Amino acid sequence: MNHALRRISLVILGMFLLLLLGVNYVQGFEPASLAVQRGNARTFSQQYQFQRGSIITSDNKVIAESVRVKGIYSYQRRYPVPTTYAPVTGYDSLYSATGIEQTEDKFLSGSDPQLTVHNLIDLITGKPKRGATVQLTVNSAAQTTAYNALKASGLPSGAVAIDPKTGAILALASYPTFNPNKYATFDSAELRQIDNHYRFAHSQPLLNRAINQTFPPGSTFKVVTGSTAFTSGKYTPDSRVYAPTNLKLPGTSKELINFDNLPCDDGSNPTGNGTVPLIFAFTVSCNTVFGNLGMKLGDTAIRQQAVKFGMNDPNLRIPLPVSPSVYPPIPGHDPALTAYSAIGQYNDQVTPLQEAMFSAAIANNGTLMTPYMVQKVTAPDLTPLFNAQSAVLSQAVSPTVAADMSRMMVNVVKSPQGTAHNTAFLPNIAIAAKTGTAQNGANNTGLDDAVFTCFAPVGNPQIAVGVIVKGGGLGADASAPIAVKIIQAYLASQAKQ
Amino acid sequence: MSAVTSPGQPGEPAARATRTSLRPVQEIPVPMPRGRRQTELAMLAFAIGLVLFAYASVGLSMTGRIPAGIVVYGIAFTVLMLLAHLAIRWLAPWADPLMLPLAALLNGLGIVMIYRLQQSGRDGNSGRVISTMSTSSTALQVVWSTVGVAAFIAVLAVIREPRTLQRYTYTFGVIGLVLLAIPALPGIGTEVNGAKVWISVGGFSIQPGEFAKLALAVFFAGYLVAKRDVLSLAGRRVLGIDLPRARDLGPVLIAWGASLLILIFETDIGQSALFFGLFLVMLYIATQRTSWLLIGGGLFVAGAYVASQLFGHVGERFTIWLHPFAAQNVYGISYQLVQGLYGMGFGGVLGTGLGNGQPYWTPLVQSDFIITAFGEELGLTGLMAILLIYGLIVQRGMRAAVAVRDPFSKLLAGGLAFVLALQVFVIVGGVTRLIPLTGITTPFLSQGGSSLVASWMLIALLMRISDTARRPAPQPIQEEGLTQVVRGG
Repeated sequence: MNHALRRISLVILGMFLLLLLGVNYVQGFEPASLAVQRGNARTFSQQYQFQRGSIITSDNKVIAESVRVKGIYSYQRRYPVPTTYAPVTGYDSLYSATGIEQTEDKFLSGSDPQLTVHNLIDLITGKPKRGATVQLTVNSAAQTTAYNALKASGLPSGAVAIDPKTGAILALASYPTFNPNKYATFDSAELRQIDNHYRFAHSQPLLNRAINQTFPPGSTFKVVTGSTAFTSGKYTPDSRVYAPTNLKLPGTSKELINFDNLPCDDGSNPTGNGTVPLIFAFTVSCNTVFGNLGMKLGDTAIRQQAVKFGMNDPNLRIPLPVSPSVYPPIPGHDPALTAYSAIGQYNDQVTPLQEAMFSAAIANNGTLMTPYMVQKVTAPDLTPLFNAQSAVLSQAVSPTVAADMSRMMVNVVKSPQGTAHNTAFLPNIAIAAKTGTAQNGANNTGLDDAVFTCFAPVGNPQIAVGVIVKGGGLGADASAPIAVKIIQAYLASQAKQ
Repeated sequence: MSAVTSPGQPGEPAARATRTSLRPVQEIPVPMPRGRRQTELAMLAFAIGLVLFAYASVGLSMTGRIPAGIVVYGIAFTVLMLLAHLAIRWLAPWADPLMLPLAALLNGLGIVMIYRLQQSGRDGNSGRVISTMSTSSTALQVVWSTVGVAAFIAVLAVIREPRTLQRYTYTFGVIGLVLLAIPALPGIGTEVNGAKVWISVGGFSIQPGEFAKLALAVFFAGYLVAKRDVLSLAGRRVLGIDLPRARDLGPVLIAWGASLLILIFETDIGQSALFFGLFLVMLYIATQRTSWLLIGGGLFVAGAYVASQLFGHVGERFTIWLHPFAAQNVYGISYQLVQGLYGMGFGGVLGTGLGNGQPYWTPLVQSDFIITAFGEELGLTGLMAILLIYGLIVQRGMRAAVAVRDPFSKLLAGGLAFVLALQVFVIVGGVTRLIPLTGITTPFLSQGGSSLVASWMLIALLMRISDTARRPAPQPIQEEGLTQVVRGG
């Protein structure tokens, strides 16, 4: 029997050799390919073993940081002012990330190729790996004011402020919003629960209303229609335009009317069937004038102008992806629909960011700068890795047209008849603006959306703001005070420096 | 040794007489073989030291402190292993000195890993326990270790001569079959992860199959020793292989049928492979006929293939084996396998260190997949060391089989050593994707009592046989030429 036992011993030796070869293969040769296989939780959770980079505002306020914690993960993400900056930072959770956390992940996590040498040096010198710091263009005063004002409205709303000269985003707020700290949990069950709660909440807290929800622009679209008119060369702010009380629309029994069915009369149009200066029609926001103007200009010209303002662009990144604001195709160039689209109704859709871009282009002599939110990225050893360069997105209008439009927008606030005079006129800061009250819902039965676009100070524009409050009613009432607060807060913070 | 083994004779008095008479008459006393108990004690101390070091290391990695339990667990484990050592000194003084330290090291490392998994909890959340684990898992494993060592001592105390087991050949056969069949009976067995191998007794889950393995090894040894002459009769010779006579195929067909029944009714391909492998190898050792191995191996492969086609649970194993990273499998049927592989890959050559890895992502990491946790945290280096420990235990078992004189003990030791090797091969090969994965426990390491207690009993049997093998033969002392006084060893 010993002969057989020795042979079996050899078989056993073979079995153990196979096992040793097997484990050598798995642990000696395969680790690199296993690490990148799908569903490898270990690779993903590695990021919590070192300090992820911070996200800071332009004025060096920390809005996302990794703090040392006890337990199996070394660092946990913390958002000191969670809800205010939620639409900016997004969240960084065990399984996914959004916002700047997602778009700048390579820098924050330190995996960017630019950081390779840096990481290698750290490895050799025994320093722990750290991510790069991402500094945003966002101004803490403007952002805090924007979020608090939106929150005070209690309505779904979004606000964006831009530096018109550079395109730097100064504030980007959305309400209702979420608490990114809740996503920083390491408890996967709790994470799932939180995610489900937010995902299915009726108030849609995860929706970034500043850039990812579109609303009808209402009368603020008259900035585009007006610009189209000036660009055509046939109109100036002082041109007298047809201003009926009721505008008959071809091909339909419907008539276009003004707000509250008011006549469009500056004293020179008592019959309600004559003309008024264009600047007056803009200041009091006559729908009939701009509807008629739209039909004369045609939807193609308006669309061209809208595109120059940045609309119909599905590829805008700030670097967060922005939902396209839309000037829609008009079936058969239908004049009635064109009239509606010229006053920001029909299927026109804009984001609060687009509202800010309208004013930013006018404020910057017609040059629309590409909006951006990441100012610079700095390696842990303070080596700059990225510095934002301002770039022109488009020449929206000529400087002359911009000056004409600016004059009209100034009048909206300055003139006692102006729609924003009561809510946006400040003795010390000259604001130029356009209000919008967008009807929506089936047969316009829904609550009106309050829309507002503006820039200030008029002489030396430093900030352009777009605000939309869903169901807020009049743009001048609900949105204008929010925009004014943001302007005041921002200019005050700049004055301090 | 085979020269002094009288073939076909289960009883050994004749053999011993022959041996004694062959010994040349000497004037000076023959030096006594050493029991090597001091060596065992020294190595045992080293093994206990390693285990305590591993335990402290888990605490230092996970909390930065040496765990408070080190005193209680340390003392309990040390006392337990010292009791086993003292029992060997008393009951089996000539037994192999390596087996106890090796088994103690594996048992200890298993407890440490279970403590480590219990500390990190499911998905790394210390607030949640890994399924089938609880906050008392470590304590329970220590209790089971105590039961295991008690069983070890009991086996050594009850079975003073391995040959005595041969008298109960058929009793053990019946016990083995009953133990195998119990979980398949409706209302008694509980199905866990598709396999019906558990029964619940007083709140404890017991895997009767683990004990059936031992009982059947005894049965096979007794049966084959009695029948091996018949079974080794050759029929025709085909392609240089002696085929057995057709009518002698009966036993191998019955064993094959039984293992297929386990496969079908308990859907446990691992246990099934283990029993059939055990039977085949013991048949081969008894008869020295390679043809048995080929016929049996062919039958098993054919049976497994048919089963894989007929039963989803078996066929799935092959899918997992062949396409673990396919998109539809990664989060589904092959999730466990790939998480285990990711863990081992994550550990790499040197491992993350105990307590620093993330073994908790792998489902059932505390039982079937515990080897991947060791691979992750101790690295390729540590895993190879563990495999070598198993290899050493098996090798010492085979050595005892070769050394022991009586054929029954020889066959039993060979079978037990092989089944231990096969079990390690099936589970480690399974989790490393060498062979299709079948869920069986990792001896000594896995959480759970049955496997641990059965493993200790297996070691006790091997040590009993090695004790018999190494025990010096009674020394005849020539006194005044005529009177023989036999001095016991």
